[in-house]
Amino acid sequence: MITGHFGLAAGVKSWATQVPLWALMFAAVWLDIVFVPLFLSGIETIETVPGAHIGYGGAIIHADYTHSLVGAVLLSALLGWPAGLLWGPRSGMTIGLVSFSHWILDLAVHRPDLPIPPGNMLGLPKLGFGLWRIPVASAALEFAILVAGAYLYWRAALAACDAKGRSKATASLSAALILLFGLFVLILDVAGVAQ
Amino acid sequence: MQFIIAVILFVGVIGAVDARIPWPKGDSGIAAR
Repeated sequence: MITGHFGLAAGVKSWATQVPLWALMFAAVWLDIVFVPLFLSGIETIETVPGAHIGYGGAIIHADYTHSLVGAVLLSALLGWPAGLLWGPRSGMTIGLVSFSHWILDLAVHRPDLPIPPGNMLGLPKLGFGLWRIPVASAALEFAILVAGAYLYWRAALAACDAKGRSKATASLSAALILLFGLFVLILDVAGVAQ
Repeated sequence: MQFIIAVILFVGVIGAVDARIPWPKGDSGIAAR
């Protein structure tokens, strides 16, 4: 899941108006950003599920540190803390919660590959409701989050422009780009293009 | 690769467009001083 995380961040912007959208977008994929160097260094890995759809949802992701429940909480706190210093405690909390929302959305779609402690050191069962087993449903969920997020963002952005007597064109352009880019990335993701 | 493209589009491009919207500013934190 990529698009769904960004859609959620757009929706959050509609009430957390004091936090820059770029920071909310960054927070929404913070766990994946930390995953990249660990993946490139072979510490966290991706295993293709035999017989599954190639690409979208067809993998068991061994992100045992970045995507463990405890790891997600720690990484979210690590990001929320400087955000709180920069934009105030409420904004820091918002950034932390958006970062943690990544784990919640991943819990819905991942096959059971999300451990509770980092490195699954206690050998507990891994978590994941596995919506990726039904790619159409998973993609529909992502699309629904994107549309809802873009709509909430658009309404709030129009109101912000209205309050200052400014042109609403930028608000509509920004919301349209969220929808357009979200759809583009979702298509790339589902089609397994540019893996 | 898709992920990197997505981060550039959402964080960079949309973030830059959004910055032109007159959102209310926060009242605390370093950025508000």
